[in-house]
This record gives sequence, C-alpha cells and structure tokens, in this order.
Amino acid sequence: MAGIVPEQWSAAENGNANVTSKGSSRELRHGRTAHNMSSSSLRKKSDLRVIQKVPYKGLKDFLTNLQEVILGTKLAILFPAIPVAIIGTYCGFSQPWIFGLSLLGLTPLAERVSFLTEQLAFYTGPTLGGLLNATCGNATELIIAILALTNNKVAVVKYSLLGSILSNLLLVLGTSLLCGGIANIRREQRFDRKQADVNFFLLLMGLLCHLLPLLFGYVGNKETSDALISSMQLNLSRASSIVMLIGYIAYLVFQLWTHRQLFDAQDQEDAYDDNVEDEETPVISFWSGFAWLVGMTLVIALLSEYVVATIEDASDSWGLSVSFISIILLPIVGNAAEHAGAIIFAFKNKLDISLGVALGSATQIGLFVVPLTIIVAWIIGIDMDLNFNLLETGSLALSIIITAFTLQDGTSHYMKGLVLLLCYFIIAICFFVDKIPQKQPNAIHMGIQPMNNIITWGRGVFSS
Amino acid sequence: MGSITEPWVIAENGNGNGNAKGSSRELRHGRTAHNMSSSSLRKKSDLRLIQKVPCKTLKNILSNLQEVILGTKLTVLFLAVPLAIIANSYHYGRPWIFGLSLIGLTPLAERVSFLTEQLAFYTGPTVGGLLNATCGNATELIIAILALANNKVAVVKYSLLGSILSNLLLVLGSSLFFGGISNIRREQRFDRKQADVNFFLLLMGLLCHLMPLLFTYSANGEISTTIINKMSLTLSRASSIVMLIAYIAYLIFQLWTHRQLFEEQEDEDDAYDDEVTVEETPVIGFWSGFAWLVGMTLVIALLSEYVVATIEDASDSWGLSVSFISIILLPIVGNAAEHAGAIIFAFKNKLDISLGVALGSATQISLFVVPLSVIVAWIMGVNMDLNFNILETSSLAVAIIITAFTLQDGTSHYMKGLVLFLCYIIIAACFFVDQIPQKQPSGMGVGLQPKNNLGVFSA
Repeated sequence: MAGIVPEQWSAAENGNANVTSKGSSRELRHGRTAHNMSSSSLRKKSDLRVIQKVPYKGLKDFLTNLQEVILGTKLAILFPAIPVAIIGTYCGFSQPWIFGLSLLGLTPLAERVSFLTEQLAFYTGPTLGGLLNATCGNATELIIAILALTNNKVAVVKYSLLGSILSNLLLVLGTSLLCGGIANIRREQRFDRKQADVNFFLLLMGLLCHLLPLLFGYVGNKETSDALISSMQLNLSRASSIVMLIGYIAYLVFQLWTHRQLFDAQDQEDAYDDNVEDEETPVISFWSGFAWLVGMTLVIALLSEYVVATIEDASDSWGLSVSFISIILLPIVGNAAEHAGAIIFAFKNKLDISLGVALGSATQIGLFVVPLTIIVAWIIGIDMDLNFNLLETGSLALSIIITAFTLQDGTSHYMKGLVLLLCYFIIAICFFVDKIPQKQPNAIHMGIQPMNNIITWGRGVFSS
Repeated sequence: MGSITEPWVIAENGNGNGNAKGSSRELRHGRTAHNMSSSSLRKKSDLRLIQKVPCKTLKNILSNLQEVILGTKLTVLFLAVPLAIIANSYHYGRPWIFGLSLIGLTPLAERVSFLTEQLAFYTGPTVGGLLNATCGNATELIIAILALANNKVAVVKYSLLGSILSNLLLVLGSSLFFGGISNIRREQRFDRKQADVNFFLLLMGLLCHLMPLLFTYSANGEISTTIINKMSLTLSRASSIVMLIAYIAYLIFQLWTHRQLFEEQEDEDDAYDDEVTVEETPVIGFWSGFAWLVGMTLVIALLSEYVVATIEDASDSWGLSVSFISIILLPIVGNAAEHAGAIIFAFKNKLDISLGVALGSATQISLFVVPLSVIVAWIMGVNMDLNFNILETSSLAVAIIITAFTLQDGTSHYMKGLVLFLCYIIIAACFFVDQIPQKQPSGMGVGLQPKNNLGVFSA
C-alpha cells in the first residue's frame, strides 16, 4: 500500500521534502504530464533585451518568436548540426558523418517538439493537451520508425523501438534513481507506486504480445512450413496490435478522465520551488506554435531519413553492429532531453516526476508506437510482426520484471538505480558483442521483403 | 496492507467500501468463496404449487426435485441435457452433440457445488470444506479423466491449462473491470494475504511445468527422444506427488491453522445484504443430497464423454482448432457459474469473494486436478507428463506473473481488470491463429497417443 495519508501533506508544508511530490496543479491544468515537466528543466529564460531594440514591430515579433523557440533550450548549441548535416548530404560528406550529425541534430528537436506541444496545450485546454502530449511525446521515435518502414528496414524499426523501451526502463530510470539516491542519501525517497503499477500492467501485456509470436517460431517442426508460421505470426501480431491500441486508449481515458487524481494528486509545496514557478503563460501564439510544430516535424523527418539511410554505412565504418547502433545509440539520442530532465527531478527528490517520465515514455512506445507501426506497415503492405527474436524479447522481459520488482515498495535508494543501470550495461555489452549477421534472425518473418531498398523517399541518399 | 479497523466503522454507517467477506455463518458450514459466488445464481423456488399435492411422499419428492432442479437461474439450460442424449442416440450431427453437451454441463457444474454445500450442513465445517475443495471443479476433473481414458492427452492438458488461464485472466479480469466501472468513485480494497498464498502455489505449479519442458530444450542431438521422454515422465510423476502434498498443506492452512486469513469478515455485512441472508438451513436431506450428487456426477460423466468423443468433429466442422476449443471454449462453459458469481460480487464491491473464487479455482486446478490427472494417467498406464509445450507454458507464466503484479497493492480499479481481460483476448487470438497440427507439439510428451486424432485439422 502506497502510504498516502493526509498527515504527510501537513508535514510537507513545514518544508521537508520527503513526501510524494508531483507537479503542481497549475502544471496539470494545462495538460502537462510528467514527461513534459522534465523537458522543461532544460529550458532557460531567453534574454529579450537585444530584440527590444529592433525598431520595426513585425520584425521584432518575429525575432522574439524565433528566440523563444530556437534559443529557449540549453540544447540550442546542437542546432547547428542540422544545417551541417543537410549541407553534408549535398556536398557528399562521408555517410558516417552524416549519420552522426543527424543524430546530434535530432536531440534538440525532440526537446523542442515537446515544448511546442506544451505551448499548444495552453490554447486547447487540459484534456486535448494531454492527448496531444500523449501522441507527440515520442514523435521522434515514431517518425524514425515510419521512415525506416518505408525503406523496408523492418529490423531497424524493431531494434530502435525495443531499444527505446529498454533505455527508458533501465538507463533513464537507473541513472535517475542512482543520482537521486546519492544526492538525497540521508532523506527518505518516496513515490506513489499506484501510478507506476498501471504502467507495468500495460508493459507486461505488451510483453505477452511480443512473446507469443516469438514462440510460434519454436512450436513448429520440420513439417510446418516457414510460410505458414510467418502468416500465423503476422495475423496474431496484427490482432494483438489492435488489442494493444485499445489498451492504450483505455489508459488515456484512465489517465486523463476517470482516475486523474492518481496522476495529479500533488502537494502545493511546489510553490516554494524556484524552478517550476515561472509564470505559466504561453510564450508564442497558437498558429505560430502550430506552424513551428509542422516545420520541426518536417526537419525531424528529414534528419530521420538521413539516419535511416546511413545507418548501415555508419555501422560498417565504426565497426558496430546495426543492432547495437539501433538498440543503444539511437534511443540515447532520442531520449536525451527526457533523460536529463528525469535526472534533474530525481536530484530534487521528486521521484514521481522522474518515474512518470521514464515509465510513461516506455508505456507509450510499447503500447502506442509499436502497434501503430505494425498497423502502418500493414497499410503500406510490409510484413512486420511483433516477433523481436529471442535475445531481444528476453532482455525486454527481464527489464520489465526487474524494474517492476524494484518499484514495488514505494521507496528508493541508490542501490536500486545502480542495479538497473548495470543491467543496461550488460544488455548493451550483449548487443555489442553480438556479431551474428543481422539478416539471419529476421529471415523468417520478413519473408516477402524485397531484395534491396527500392523505395527511396529522399534524394539519392543511398549511394552504397 | 489496508486492513485497519477504521474501515469497519465506516462500513457500519452503510456505505459498502470496507473489506467485505462472507459472514461467519457461511463459513461455519464449510462454504468457501467459491460456493458463495455460485449461490448468487440461485433463486428461492416457489413451493406453493407443490403444497397442493395430496400424497405426502409425492409432495416430498416434488419439493426435493424443485429445490434441486429449479433452484438455479440456469435451469433453462437443463433442457440441453436430454436433447444431447437424444441427439446422441439418434446420431445427429456430432458438432450438435458437442454443443448441446457443453450447454448441458453449465447448470450441472453449478448444481454440484450447491449439493456439496448442502451436504456440508450435515458433515460439519471441516469435512464440508474438504468436500468443497475436492468437488469444486468436479466438471474439469471428470472431463480430464474421461479424456485420459480415451487417450486424448492433449485435450486433457489443454482443457486444464485453459481452465487456469480463464480463471486468472477472464474471470478475474471481467470481475475487476465491471467492479471497477460500477464502483468508479469508491475505493476498492481487498486483503492481499489470501491472494498471495494462491500465487505462491501457482508459481510452484509453474515450476513443475517448466522443468519437463526445458528437458526437451537442454538435450543435444545425441540424446534420443525416448530418454528425454522417460526423464520428463519420471520428473512429472515425482512433481505431481509434490504438488499434491502442497495442496494438502494448503487445505490444512486454509481450513485449520490460518482460517482467520480466509474468513476474517465483518458481521454486519450480510445483515444488510438482502441477497445472502436467506436462512441457512439445509433444504434437502443428507441421503437425498448424496443420491443427487451421485446422479449428477453420472450425468456429468455422460455429457463429458460426449464432449470428449465429439470434440474433433466439432473442430472439423466449425473450422476451429482443437487447441482453441479445449483452451478457450471448454473452460468458459465449465466456469460459467463461478464467472457470473464473481462478477456479481465485484459489482457489490466485495472483491475478496471474487478473488477467492477466481484464484481459489485456479489453484485448485493447478495443484490438485493437474497432478491428480498425471497420477490417474500413471495408474491407467497412459504416459502423460507435465510438459505443456512452450506456447502454453509461456502463456501460463505470463498470466500468473501479470495477475500477481496486478494484485500486489491491495486495491483495484477498472484498468487492472481491462488489462487482464485484454491479455486473455491476446492469448485466445494466439490459439485461434495457431494452425500447427496438434499431434506434433504434444508428440514428445504423449508417446502412446493413438493415431485417430490425426486428421483433426481442416485448415
């Protein structure tokens, strides 16, 4: 039983921070979730003085807007990687460079998208805003996945989504709990486990959906043809995806309407907190925010296209397997902003927000992005199933179970974080040494996949 | 652990959000949560018509008949019993016999639990509890033994596995879901200690299924399948004995040493409840009840025999695989009465009873019916082991783990129920699309299985 007794709130008002604290109610009124709260920690107040001197009003507004959007993050320094990556493509840079630059460029973009959805939420109201966040929260992962699908790189899609779940569960959560545990070593670190529990049911359900198609590959014998097994796997995966999406929709209803109090029960002592109490007004207008969001999405799509196109070359020239790059490197970049935010909140002993970020993001990928990808693949006629192979599914199963056990008692200490982090290292090493040609494990269920990547979405990126 | 004394005080003011279990009166007669749930399907039969019958003996027989046959809301399904028998003697289409027998089994399963409960009035609580613990899943047991006698080991395994899955995911899932929806503004609590005991036992059962399964994977090319089969058979028989010992210990734990865990309850609860306050006196005599029980068991055996004999034909003509019919359809029918009961109690926010029904039934099948089937098979000379194949064992493992996680914190909401229910749908979809010939997967463990269920698969 998570021990939320009313007495604790009064204790909190005396100033000690060892209570279950969540975002202030102000935050949630605008549909902000823990996911967004964490990104906001990377933001900085931009200095508008220089712009005030610009005489022409239209230009001034435009510059202010630009400054809010582009310079409003501590990651702004990574933005130059975007033009360099684009120029690099045209000037024939070597492919691994383009890959690296695109990855760097994606990092601030992921953070900015969550900033923009949050801005839009000011205009749309809390419920719609919550839905927007729930959909765009992992926009980068979704775009990379869909682009890789159109390029018929089903393995990259699977690996990157799996890696994203693993990185959220073990890396983000592990470092948060470790840093939080060390920083608050003498204080009690509590969180509300009910919220975490909901995520774990859904993750376990997702695991079941991955496990059953995998096992189909093992129940067959010599007489059952591969084609029969793949078609069974495919049908089951598509049916499961629909069930998973139903589960996710129910989760949204649960989170945004019927059981809001589970997710936004919070104390008022955030008012004393000097970091989150910036005046909550939108800094840009609705249509400007919307335009920015569309623009950013296009840039993300462009960079993702580069990443997808150059991943094999990068793998070749760096001597890393594609599976390692997709499972470990891609998600670290895609989640960097959330990762930093989760750690910062853990330092402040606000574990509920850290957990909300890490688990919420993992659930969103596991129960929304993955089934959506399957259905998109179905629509565009690609055979992608939920079979992630034995090694990957095994890692996923252990990660979910170990994290769920870790969070059973509603308290935390640095040892929990350390063990999760070490688990992540072990899994990373496993995929690092895994030199089995990547085509092999997917051979069974990728059946109809065309010989080479015929569909090229962008320019002549596929030089190899 | 949320059993503090304050909730009782609140509960006495009339709102029902305290932990509610059956009244102590109930348990004094050896009634378990399992029986309580079936009782929600009963109705008071109207004896007025019978009072007019002049002859006393006839009157007694009629009122006895009415209590037994008409005392359930499922009575209308009894019609399927004679229909199935007629259909069988006139050689109707075999799928029809299968369907009618399944329908006929539904009310019989409920009536058997009614009769054991009646007998418990005469035998006292402990023997009554034992009786319930043995006959609670009589239908499943009889189907299993008859299928064994027909050498259909795969059907036995599938139907028992399906029964555990249906109790854990379907019955529990829909109870928590409907309970959560109807009590959406109230706190829904239960006592997790009782649930925990069931999960230890279920996990132990899982271990017993896992080990023989892993034997087949640990072997390398040089070891012949005969040796592996023999090893897995020996291990299964030893494990079955251990499982039965555990079940006996569980009965002792439940009926003697730790009764308070299972019957801790408030007294005022039932006083306000208009459904369970029926005067607790036996409605039929001991010998009459005993005779009925024997008779019902025979009818169940007859119908089960039909079900087992016609399952392949039904599978052929309906285009469903035998594994889907055995894992999904058979258990839904066998558990219909308990299922309805569990949902009704969840609606009333009495989650402890719902949990007791679902988990108790799952434990009973896993730790009593399964090992008993293995031992009966041993006695009859059929080679049945605990190897349920990888797909089935993994479904079981995930089902147990996810349910255990769900029930960790002693509270419930509809999302928990929905997730369990969706998991059941996914597993059902998995066995629905599974078109791998059924002989093959059980080929290893079954050995003696006759040739006649080869051509089962239409697809």
